[in-house]
Amino acid sequence: MTRARIAVVLAAAVATALLVAGLAGARTSTPATAHQNLAVKGTITFDGIWTASSGQKQFADVIAAFNKTYPNVHVNYKPVGNNLPTVLATSVAGGHPPDMADIAQPGTVAQLAKQGKLKPITYAKSVIAANFAPAWRQLGTYSGKLYALVFKAANKSVVWYNVPAFKAAGVTPPKTFSQLLTDAKTIKASGTPAYSIGGADGWTLTDMFENIYLRTFGAAKYDALSQHKIKWTDPSVKTALTTMAKVVGDTSNVAGGTSGALQYGFNDSVTNAFGTPPKAAMVFEADFVGGVITSSTKAKAGTGFNTFTWPAITPGPDAGAVEIGGDLFVTFRDNPAIEAFVKFLATAPAAEAWAKQGGFGTGNKNVPSTIYPDAITRATEAPIGTAKSVVFDMSDEQPPAFGATTGQGEWGIFQTFLKSPSNVAGIQKQLETAAAAAYK
Amino acid sequence: MTAGGITAEPPVAAAPPPSGEPGRLGRYLTSAIFLAPALFMLGVWMVYPAVYTIIRSFFGETGFLGHWVGIDNYKTLFTTSTLTTAIKNNAIWVAVVPAFVTALGLIFAVLTERVRWAVAFKTVVFLPMAISAFATGVTWRIMDQQDPGLGAINALGKTISGVFSPAGVLSTASPSTSVLQSSGGALVLKTPTHPGGIALLGLTGIAPDQVPKSSAQAVTPPPKPGDIEGVVWRDFKPGGGKVGVVEKGELGLPGVTVELRNAAGKTVKTTKSKPDGSFDFSNVPAGTYHAAIGAQTFAKPFGGFAWLGPSLIVPSLLIAYIWIWAGFAMVVIGAGLASMPRDVLEAARTDGATEWQTFRRVTVPLLAPVLSVVFITMIINVLKVFDIVFALAPESEYARANVIALAMYLTAFQGGENFGVGSAIAVFLFLLVIPVLALNIRRFRRES
Amino acid sequence: MAAAAPAMELPAPRESVALKIVRAVARGPLHLVLIAIGGLWLVPTIGLFITSILPASALASKGWWQVFSHPSVATWSNYDALFHNAGLIQALKTTAYIAVGNTLVVVILGAMAGYAFAWLDFPGRDWIFVGVIGLLVVPLQMALIPMFKLYDATHLFDTWEGIALFHVAFGLPFAIFLLRNFFVGLPKDILESARIDGASEIVIFLRLILPLGLPAIASLAIFQFLWTWNDLLVALTFGQNTTPITVWIAGQLREFGTSIDIIAPASFISLVVPLCVFFAFQRYFVQGLLAGSVK
Repeated sequence: MTRARIAVVLAAAVATALLVAGLAGARTSTPATAHQNLAVKGTITFDGIWTASSGQKQFADVIAAFNKTYPNVHVNYKPVGNNLPTVLATSVAGGHPPDMADIAQPGTVAQLAKQGKLKPITYAKSVIAANFAPAWRQLGTYSGKLYALVFKAANKSVVWYNVPAFKAAGVTPPKTFSQLLTDAKTIKASGTPAYSIGGADGWTLTDMFENIYLRTFGAAKYDALSQHKIKWTDPSVKTALTTMAKVVGDTSNVAGGTSGALQYGFNDSVTNAFGTPPKAAMVFEADFVGGVITSSTKAKAGTGFNTFTWPAITPGPDAGAVEIGGDLFVTFRDNPAIEAFVKFLATAPAAEAWAKQGGFGTGNKNVPSTIYPDAITRATEAPIGTAKSVVFDMSDEQPPAFGATTGQGEWGIFQTFLKSPSNVAGIQKQLETAAAAAYK
Repeated sequence: MTAGGITAEPPVAAAPPPSGEPGRLGRYLTSAIFLAPALFMLGVWMVYPAVYTIIRSFFGETGFLGHWVGIDNYKTLFTTSTLTTAIKNNAIWVAVVPAFVTALGLIFAVLTERVRWAVAFKTVVFLPMAISAFATGVTWRIMDQQDPGLGAINALGKTISGVFSPAGVLSTASPSTSVLQSSGGALVLKTPTHPGGIALLGLTGIAPDQVPKSSAQAVTPPPKPGDIEGVVWRDFKPGGGKVGVVEKGELGLPGVTVELRNAAGKTVKTTKSKPDGSFDFSNVPAGTYHAAIGAQTFAKPFGGFAWLGPSLIVPSLLIAYIWIWAGFAMVVIGAGLASMPRDVLEAARTDGATEWQTFRRVTVPLLAPVLSVVFITMIINVLKVFDIVFALAPESEYARANVIALAMYLTAFQGGENFGVGSAIAVFLFLLVIPVLALNIRRFRRES
Repeated sequence: MAAAAPAMELPAPRESVALKIVRAVARGPLHLVLIAIGGLWLVPTIGLFITSILPASALASKGWWQVFSHPSVATWSNYDALFHNAGLIQALKTTAYIAVGNTLVVVILGAMAGYAFAWLDFPGRDWIFVGVIGLLVVPLQMALIPMFKLYDATHLFDTWEGIALFHVAFGLPFAIFLLRNFFVGLPKDILESARIDGASEIVIFLRLILPLGLPAIASLAIFQFLWTWNDLLVALTFGQNTTPITVWIAGQLREFGTSIDIIAPASFISLVVPLCVFFAFQRYFVQGLLAGSVK
């Protein structure tokens, strides 16, 4: 009998403990305030590229803004850094992907969607339509279904220049490409090479090619080439490559010459242009150059460095077109917590939480350009939302085997082009062969 | 004392087991107990993935047991040029590195035995192993930079070469007009000058901070009969200015050696320019002359070896790798030396053998098992080498410096995301080891 | 247990002062050579250290040797920034669990298996041994994907134990290879007499093999600890919140821009522990353990 009594007492104790814990738990959950949704609960694992020194804190602010409305959803962000493509490929192939991830290439998103690994985000369609122009929704669509949200965008039609070097040469930022070539000659005569090229990173070369192609032939033809409706052996590609050779082939005007340009990576190309003394006067790359300048050199905004828009080539409506790179958010699972987060990310408050700190661009048309913290940021980021023509980085839209593989495909072939810029026809053939193989 | 490599050792069960000791079954059970945990872990974490990879290599991009492609992936292996370069490079690595590393490790281990501060030296050589492979790659990448201002090796080279062949004062300059032409390294004014004439030598491409401090506003001297006058100046002002004409704001270049060449091209007079860039050849006999600036003024400074360029990238990688792994060899061989029985060495020494003979005839054979561990481990490490190539080689040289593991990574995990071909590469790596092992088994069997 | 051979009685060396001086001078070149090699060997490491005490902007256009002409540029701010980051200490702790845990297991399992391959007899012994060495070649990357499903099912994902077990398995081939080859070189007679005296294999293993094999075990421990301390790939792939130091460092690097002002100081902070392990185990590299005096 004693044993039974003990059992009853134990059971009662356990029950009481559970009850108390349950009540206590209920009490410690956030009391509801206006606009809060407590019903949606859960944890979301998110693998992202932003690390402690480049965006993790800002993204945490975005998550905090989300938690104001959905306090019971916990977003578990893992800062993977530049290893993200590897880690993601492994975890997807291994059957254990995170709930959400950040992917920089629409081409990769398309590949994953084709393999059936992604969950569509059709539930966010109306929110996205309310905040973005249709072109942005297109970027995340594959086979008619919406899979990705372009959360963060980088303006790649920007040129950063060394202010004192330009002053010493007596030139002002050029508005047209022919003016750029003339200015480059003057800058060389003043004793500084004009161009800083980071050829070790093939994507800097494809970015230059894409800007030239875009500004010469317009957005429609750019998209056709991007979808391989135009072949790489087309005469338009020849024109663009020949134009590009006027810059990269001007070897005495490139920091380090051809051999140096091939060994310098993107980071080196920035420090070359803005270190003291500068080894070159300008860098053709995106808005994220600003962050590199401030973290790796002593140059100051306005007095040391400044920007101008990529020079126009063919006058017309697309003369000021903007080429962007970006971060696309995809989902591998679907549940109410994920849906709430994705829908929030498409709204203006999500973008503003980061935009007001700088280093962030968005296509969200409801974000006012006044949100950006300083003049240079405004000049580089605002056009993303306001430009009439926006296209995505062509190499990122390609199947990754062609457009995003180190040392091979587009990146590798353009490095070969840098070695011999006169061999336009040969490069065209190589590009077409590689593209055809990838699109098979 | 036998020196065993991976050879079969005669089993130790010579004497019949005394009573109470379990028989053969008991001994097998003991062996099983000793082996089971390790073999279990190896089976799950290594054999299972190896089998998975082999099967995966016969399928295409879409996934495990997806689209069967047979030996297509293997065909790609041998036909893609990047992969064949990788195989060739790995062959170079295997030929060079294990021998070097083992030899260095042996030398260091033996030498430091006799020195009291051995631990300090061992620490110095061991340190590279303690730094992560990625950080080491980054370190050497910076050291190998071609720019002598940034790369340590080339900075040393520049200092040395600066002693023997100093750079010219105006190494970056080029002529501002087409009448000043390059000829054998010197810049010669094409238009002839006669006594009483003026020679204008305008140069561009000179950064403002390269102009000597003593320079002043350039001045074209007035012509003097019987003399040849002229000016060497930085023909540039903000915006470019008018080329070939001395304008306000353009600085003269003092201290430049100007030559006067006769019609045959021979230098007959030289002089130096003054702070305002002007120079003067007095009492010149009648004739046609060309003013020139000598080649030594434009002597380029040491530009640095392109350690990260196509021809030197593989040697640079080998050097960095040996620098890291010599410490491994030294420590392991040092442990081997420590557990060597001293009495055999002393016996050899008292028998009258010299140090070198003791080393060759006694020490090395006793160390053979350890040396073979180091050597074979290095061969396999080198077949798998990845981190150092990934971190040190610039991406533009990946094709040139490619190794099998890097090719596998790029194919399977980067843009390619073709796990089928990636798996085929891995299987190929497995197969490569078999002849290596067989060769070494045979060698060490012969030696023992 | 009888000794293998009578201990050698060496005559006490009778060295004159002259002989001592001759020996010292003969050693002179050796010292010089070692100092020269050591100096050259140290240059890249010193370069990395100096890089870690220079701000990134100073390294943009000049090399690290500028510190010799402008010593005032040096600063501890890179280290400061790292230490002020809360995650560093936790990351070091996690790494310690993984590294110490897996090294212990590797040493024990490796020694047991090494002994079996060296001194026990069973069918197929040499072929299995060659197979184990062959496993050395399995690249880590290819094991990641198959293990995912397994780890999912066994809930090992995102645990330090799961990561440590991965390292145990991948450390075993080298451990077994190294220890087996060491044990094979141990004096056969000692083992035989132990067996004749009736000692069981376990006793032989614990009382003879392990002590005699200490130098090998020490060097194995040094490297296994080191390699797992510096591993990035396994922890990055199989962890979510479990963050050893390498993953933590990777999570600090900039997306664009040189992160040498993070990599350099982090490398030095990180290498302190393996270096201590190295010093600690160095004392087992003492010669003379086998001077025939084991009784």
